Amino acid sequence: MTTVGQLVFSGLLIGGIYALMSIGLTLIFGVLRIVNFAHGEFLMVAMYGAWAMTRYLGLNPYYSIVAIVPAMFLFGIVVHRLIVMPALDKPHLVVVFATMGLSILMQNVALMALSADLQDVPPILGGRSFTFGPFYAKPELLIGFAVAVACTLGLRFMLQATYLGKAIRATVQDGEAAQLMGVPVPRIFLITFAAGSALVGLSACIMTPLFSVFPTVGLNFVLIAFVIVVLGGMGSIEGALLGGICIGIVQSLSSYYIAPAFGQMFFFMLFLLVMIFRPAGLLGRKGEATLGIND
Amino acid sequence: MDAAPLTSKRRTGRWRLLPERGTISLFELLLLAICLVLVAVPLPQYLQDVLIQTFLWAGLALAWNIAGGFAGLISFGHAAFFGIGAYTSSILAANYGLTPWIGLWIGGALAAAFGAVLTLVCARLRGPFFILSTLAAAEVVRIAALNWAALTGGAEGFSILPIASIANMVFESKTTYAALMLGYFLLIYAITKAVEGSRYGYYLFAARDDEEAASAAGVNPLLARTGAMCLSAFLAGIGGSLFAQYFLFLDPTHVISPELSFQFALLPALGGLGTAIGPVLGSFVITPLSELLRSYFGGAGAGLHLAIYGAVLVVVMLYFPSGIAGALQRLAERGRKGAP
Amino acid sequence: MPVALRLATLAVAAVALLGTAASGYAQEPIRIGVLQPMTGPATKNGTENFTAMQIAREMINERGGVNGRKVEFLLADIPTPTAAISETERLTTKDGVKITLGSGVSLLAVPVSQAAERHGVFHWETAGAADIITKRGFKYTFQVGPAAYRYGHAAVDLTLGELAKRLGKSPSDLRIALLWENRAFGKSVGDSIRAYAKEKNIALVYDEGYDQFLTDMTPIVQRLKDVKPDVLIAISFPNDAILFQRKAKELDFNVGAMVGVSAGYSNPDLRDSIGDMVNGIFVSDFAARVNPKALTPETLKIADEFFKRYDDKMKRPPAGHASSAFSATWALFTEVFPKAKAFEPAELREIALKLDLPEGSLANGSGIKFTNNDWPTDPKDAGQNLRASIGVWQWQKTGNNQVFPPKLATTEPVMVPLPNWSQR
Repeated sequence: MTTVGQLVFSGLLIGGIYALMSIGLTLIFGVLRIVNFAHGEFLMVAMYGAWAMTRYLGLNPYYSIVAIVPAMFLFGIVVHRLIVMPALDKPHLVVVFATMGLSILMQNVALMALSADLQDVPPILGGRSFTFGPFYAKPELLIGFAVAVACTLGLRFMLQATYLGKAIRATVQDGEAAQLMGVPVPRIFLITFAAGSALVGLSACIMTPLFSVFPTVGLNFVLIAFVIVVLGGMGSIEGALLGGICIGIVQSLSSYYIAPAFGQMFFFMLFLLVMIFRPAGLLGRKGEATLGIND
Repeated sequence: MDAAPLTSKRRTGRWRLLPERGTISLFELLLLAICLVLVAVPLPQYLQDVLIQTFLWAGLALAWNIAGGFAGLISFGHAAFFGIGAYTSSILAANYGLTPWIGLWIGGALAAAFGAVLTLVCARLRGPFFILSTLAAAEVVRIAALNWAALTGGAEGFSILPIASIANMVFESKTTYAALMLGYFLLIYAITKAVEGSRYGYYLFAARDDEEAASAAGVNPLLARTGAMCLSAFLAGIGGSLFAQYFLFLDPTHVISPELSFQFALLPALGGLGTAIGPVLGSFVITPLSELLRSYFGGAGAGLHLAIYGAVLVVVMLYFPSGIAGALQRLAERGRKGAP
Repeated sequence: MPVALRLATLAVAAVALLGTAASGYAQEPIRIGVLQPMTGPATKNGTENFTAMQIAREMINERGGVNGRKVEFLLADIPTPTAAISETERLTTKDGVKITLGSGVSLLAVPVSQAAERHGVFHWETAGAADIITKRGFKYTFQVGPAAYRYGHAAVDLTLGELAKRLGKSPSDLRIALLWENRAFGKSVGDSIRAYAKEKNIALVYDEGYDQFLTDMTPIVQRLKDVKPDVLIAISFPNDAILFQRKAKELDFNVGAMVGVSAGYSNPDLRDSIGDMVNGIFVSDFAARVNPKALTPETLKIADEFFKRYDDKMKRPPAGHASSAFSATWALFTEVFPKAKAFEPAELREIALKLDLPEGSLANGSGIKFTNNDWPTDPKDAGQNLRASIGVWQWQKTGNNQVFPPKLATTEPVMVPLPNWSQR
């Protein structure tokens, strides 16, 4: 019983981290209807940023949020202007391959500039964990989970209550109508992409104390992020949280009870099963996956 | 999705300058002549290697294009079909002494079966949902191949003995391989042209461009699409077998990798999606480019060649969204208008 | 097509230019193709190995080269197995290289040697350890570093001897767990440990592989907590070794002794990454720096020069694989080349097979004696170096100290049993 409890608990927490790193992608996917294939490299760059601030300025990685999040917002604006915006009115594959090219470029510029060495920041509390009865959890994971939940709620509040949020939702529902009603759709796209990128920055600051940074670190996470986004339902922020937690727990239990070598296989299979029986994802609106997107 | 516009078939009886549906153009004949010359002349072995890979990838890109371009089934999982083909013929040869000349058809058939299942399972999915589902399916195949070590050799890889003979489908001379790969490429080109000009081709385009109208007109879109994916997977599987016979080494992490799947889609996208000539042009430009970049910058600074490759990819995608074929088309049209 | 042709012309011109530049030497240099992953997931190994090889080349050239001929490297980047094959073919068919040196990690050594053998090229493998490399009956491939099974045997020998004694258990009562990363090297070593343990009638209490992209170690650590092993043998790469150790601390998984195998646990950055948590971990590895008494006096001088130069370039001591890259390359330059005249693969093979260097002849404590096809115990094994040094060292407060086998050891093992996390 303790074992199952620990597995579910750890899976839940790591799932929160997965969800956090996917929320930016979900937002972009939901509003712009594009998959950013350089998502993993955005994460990599931001993780290097968080690492550098700890390494050279001696800052706690959580404090680096103050600098990394705005920096990634700006980075998002630049990428949107140079690559995403020009590709939006073109066929869907254009943006897929343009972002994929960006991903190859970023990975290898990082390799040239920073070498393939692994970089780490020291864990907080010396790597010790809290105990909850028989269960253990690192403070970094608890913080990550809390931030993921807070982010989800914050975004939901923003989407429901603010003008910007309403404009975003209007754009999602019907871009042309929104445009006619005076919503500056291109500006909404820009802000959404930049905000998605800033969210990647936030998750990088949360992840740096947990994972090593290296030029190809994005590869370890990007497929998980894709799966979560689609699993949760297109553009559904709560869906991403739920999807992340599902992946975390499925991975944890299947690796324990079946074999760790198959751990990833099970969440890909879970993903395929959801696609077959609930193609719109766990929390997506019915019929969305069957809509032709961006064609 | 981007594709050649559905123009009405013009049967003028003249040779066309640029490739068009249903006819053979001067451009295609010229390209064919160049290919034949390149195989026949004694090139340095290294360039022959580039040539072989270029032909192979032209064939693979064409195979992908039947599903991705014609039927609108953008797959990021073709590495799975490729890997199934490669492993099937190699395992049959190593364990049962079956010549790859026969094994490759079996590999192709298995890949086609997998393709059919995948399409039926993902029948309702479109756009990014379909793309990511195929990516996930290919990952399942990769992990299965990696862990089924008794059959595939697992992570240590699967080596094919380099004993040259016709029955083994292993050759000393690169010219033989170049001819083999050219044959593969031409076969798929012919199939592509045939599909493109046929009634079935029209069903596919119709199902891709307007599913409801197609259904109303009596086309079963699901059946048409499944057929296209089957054919595409079958041909990609055969390509996998040929790859195995040339490289003589397979390893799940790379033969069934997402990177390889991306390559399948990248070449047609760059060359011109949904046209017959597009994937060919894509491979003829990108395959030599990536090989040469690696060989001339590979030793210089770690990563420089790939950084250049990535940058080129971004620029080309943004400025030539309808690919090289589209750019040529525009150029030709401008020329025609200029002439009196 | 025109792009390809134009690039090709450019390339031919560039090669011609290189050719003229090189002919400035009094005699034609000896050209060697070096294959290392300079990009992709194995970049770190590749650059470190290449640095060590460059040092060997500089040292030989400063000493006047091999019989007056300088040594020249042609480096090719091999991020993936497919690239490994293409690049080996390119070096041999385009640049006419007849000797290749490589290739970073096992995963790449397998295809590189395959392509080299196909073209009849003499391949000197310094790091690739997978057992399959020498099991294919190849004529021209020589695996100078230790084969994978010997890493496994060293780990098991240490465990059943020294560790069992210090844990106060008889070897047959010892609970041994085995964890391996599912790539070529990890699988090879894992297989050898399983087979060797079976030979010694020891049952493993845990035996699992995991995927290189695993991001959560909880299920593995939790399972290990449940089976309570005395000794854990883990074959890992750097990223997963760090993840594992952190998770072990988080979930308070304690074990009597921890034996890591090579890459992940031998990575010099491990202490930077996880701090003093490394202390006490044993590492079965190429020997990086061995007991000076085990080396001949001339070798000791060479070894010291290498360590100094490596430290100057990389600002840290070499890991075992870099030491092996240097030692093997140096042996090629000083033991094989001086006896060659034509520098043809067949001739080099004859010389290599005749080599009979006792242990301690090379900087990392290795000797050289290759198996060949006629070897009585294993007729299929060709070109495996039976005297490649392998041993176990331990992360200690004072540095990385060799503890096994006794001949190469510089200190005694410490921290057995490993204190619980609460006391570390």
